[in-house]
Amino acid sequence: MRPLRLACGVAAALLASACAATGPITTPTDAAQESAAPGYLAVADQALAPGGTLNVQVHIDSGAATGYDPQLADVATTWQLLSLSYETLVTVGPDFAIQPLLAEKWDTPDDRTYVFHLREGVTFSNGRKLTADDVVGSLKRLLASKSVWVGQLGPVDEIAKDGDGKVKVTLKEPYTPFLAALANVPAAILPMKEIDDKSVDPATTLLGTGPYVVEDHRQDVSWTFRRNDAYWNQGKPAADVLNITIAPEEAARIAALQNGGAALATLGNVDSESMLAGAADVKVVTQATTDFYYLMLNSLKPGSKLADPKVRQAINIALDTKQIAEVALGGKGEPTAVTPAGLPGSCDPAALPSAAKGPDEAKRLLAEAGAENLSFTLTIFNTEPAPAVAQVIQQNLQQAGITVKIEQMDEASWSGKVYGKAPAEFDAALSWFAGYADPGMVTKWWNPETAGFNAGFMRPDPALSAAIDAAGKEPAGAARDRALAEVCAQADADAQMIPLVTRPATVAFRTDALSPSLYATEGYGNVLRLVADARVKKSR
Amino acid sequence: MRLLMWWSGRALSSAATLLGVSVLIFAAVRLMPGGFAETVLGPFATAEQKAELATRYGLDQPVFMQYGHWLAAVSGGDFGISMISRQPVGAELLARLPVTAELTVLAVAASVLLGVPLGVLTAVRARPGGGGAAGRLLSGLGVSVPEFVLGSLVVFVFSRYALGLKVGSWVPLTQDPAANLATMILPAAVLSVFAISVTARTTRDAVMGVLVEPYVTAAVGRGESPWSIVRHHILRNAATPVVTLIGTTVAYLLGGALIVEHVFNLPGVGSYIVQAVGRRDYAVVQAGVLLAAGVFIVMNVLIDLLVGAIDPRLGVLAGRRS
Repeated sequence: MRPLRLACGVAAALLASACAATGPITTPTDAAQESAAPGYLAVADQALAPGGTLNVQVHIDSGAATGYDPQLADVATTWQLLSLSYETLVTVGPDFAIQPLLAEKWDTPDDRTYVFHLREGVTFSNGRKLTADDVVGSLKRLLASKSVWVGQLGPVDEIAKDGDGKVKVTLKEPYTPFLAALANVPAAILPMKEIDDKSVDPATTLLGTGPYVVEDHRQDVSWTFRRNDAYWNQGKPAADVLNITIAPEEAARIAALQNGGAALATLGNVDSESMLAGAADVKVVTQATTDFYYLMLNSLKPGSKLADPKVRQAINIALDTKQIAEVALGGKGEPTAVTPAGLPGSCDPAALPSAAKGPDEAKRLLAEAGAENLSFTLTIFNTEPAPAVAQVIQQNLQQAGITVKIEQMDEASWSGKVYGKAPAEFDAALSWFAGYADPGMVTKWWNPETAGFNAGFMRPDPALSAAIDAAGKEPAGAARDRALAEVCAQADADAQMIPLVTRPATVAFRTDALSPSLYATEGYGNVLRLVADARVKKSR
Repeated sequence: MRLLMWWSGRALSSAATLLGVSVLIFAAVRLMPGGFAETVLGPFATAEQKAELATRYGLDQPVFMQYGHWLAAVSGGDFGISMISRQPVGAELLARLPVTAELTVLAVAASVLLGVPLGVLTAVRARPGGGGAAGRLLSGLGVSVPEFVLGSLVVFVFSRYALGLKVGSWVPLTQDPAANLATMILPAAVLSVFAISVTARTTRDAVMGVLVEPYVTAAVGRGESPWSIVRHHILRNAATPVVTLIGTTVAYLLGGALIVEHVFNLPGVGSYIVQAVGRRDYAVVQAGVLLAAGVFIVMNVLIDLLVGAIDPRLGVLAGRRS
């Protein structure tokens, strides 16, 4: 009998303690979102006392193989983490407005020259004052590096000190996205004196001017940041300690939010919002981003029908991006052209030439190309919502008589298949780009001579490349909008990479533990952009 | 002399096993689809950067040379450097081992404390033609349901309805033992379901096998109390298969920890290996699998010693086991 009693006792004790701890279930309100200022999803309540520990959970750690060097960081998840310690000359504000950061202002005496006036009183976290030499050295180091961001920085001709506290950058030709490119982490200002004298290796040490300094990092486990007491922006950061836990499983992040283990978490699955619908004191918001999914069609695979522009056009026409947004992304994304939807100056995807045509036109083009019974494999990674997007693509193309076999694999296998060889071995593949903060920036990846990583599956299109360069030179305004529309039309016709739908970011936070600031829009995938403003309501 | 020979034999067979495992895992990670360079460096990496990475980690050398260098290093206690974190793999494994060890100990404790009594109880209460069916069904379910299914279910239920036990908010044991336990109970429970079921079934079969022995009948005839019979005649004689099973279960649980740690976001060896597989971090996967094989071998040796202590006829000096 004793074992049975023991078992029953343990079970009863567990059940009793569990039931006693059950909290009330309430429906969250949209109060915070409704009351936020224009351009914001939430604004931190400044009446709350600063201090405390902020616990955040994200799904992935920094890219890491290249270390902590911000100039070599090439994915948004790494930018997000490094942005806590590093800062740029300018930053992205609400609605993608470029705002001062380490440069308190800038002059543009002509369309090729930028003079940045550095902010007074800025120090690195080791206490050394930021100088113009750090700025000049950082930008020169970036341009001399193998960073993918060199392609985004544009045609920089010269970088030089321009008197005390000023730096002049001269471009070879006008380049409108220049400030937006400077606003991202790879263009962060590094402690060049320490790097030059080799007392600091940026690959292993984070030493910046940002609001937080790293106290501890365990790869793929957690980061602990503490506030940079010497931070120039007085009163920030509000939280004394920022703990970031890496939790790859979305269910674990949701659980941590619900039980208070995390005050804020990023979510990837479009269904997560409904899973948290009844959770007490948890609010879920959707941040519109310029990131977007796109379909790669391999035109370099020997013998592939996809090398024929008519076949690619037929596929482009047959795709219903509205349906992809509605069905696969639960209505949270929106159709986009090569210029990300939502960015000022971006093209209207409904106005693209392919949007005006239907499955009959797709069938006609396939017949002309002798590809009536076209069949190909679509290679995707297994992270949601990619499988759902692929299924809608499969159904769309079936309407035009195209058979798509979906090949789903883990991200490493997917990377190997898509980027491992040249020419690449896949037929079609699904991926997404960060859309950045200027509509002309991501279009550069449509030129494989600039974006070498695409050279394994796409041919340069001289007309498209010329249109991209022309749009980069046009100053913001009607003429640039027309130039960008031309880029969109050219990319639409080329169809080696077909833009599909935007990729929104879902963020959840505990309203009883945190009052965060969050922009309504984001161009560099940085959910933590305003984390220095966040007020911790109580230590949990 | 016989003991020395036994230890020598075990050492040799253990070394051969580890060598075989090392060959298999070394080959397996290189046969995985997807290149390490694209995964570790990301899609934007240039061919030059990929080549640099390969050179830095010796991955541009012929495979047999890579294996030779790795084996030599591992023999000296150097498990290599992680391509992702650029930190020594051995140090990271050591840092994560306590989490996995704690999880395994809790799961083994649950399997012993619940599985053995349940097995004894169902055996001594079994009647011909009746009883035991429900137990067999339950234990069958426990054996059949995979950890990732049960784990996902538990994560959903306990996160959706709180219930006091925490998911996804691991706290180190040294920092706050109570909070640590609150985060470890659920994963340990999930991990132990299989072990409890198998332990209960094995114990039941072992006890039922002993119950028909003449010395038990004689004890009943002598008028000994049921508890005395269970304690003095049944448990000791039924212990051998149960102890053997528990030993092998420990090794099995280490394998299950891979899934459970990942699902519950525990920073143990299991989640380290899972992430390393996903990122093609060869040195980590190789070291992790080799470590698991090592634990399995050590457990087998311990089982042999323990079985010998319980029943000297089966011990290492009895000449019946090697």
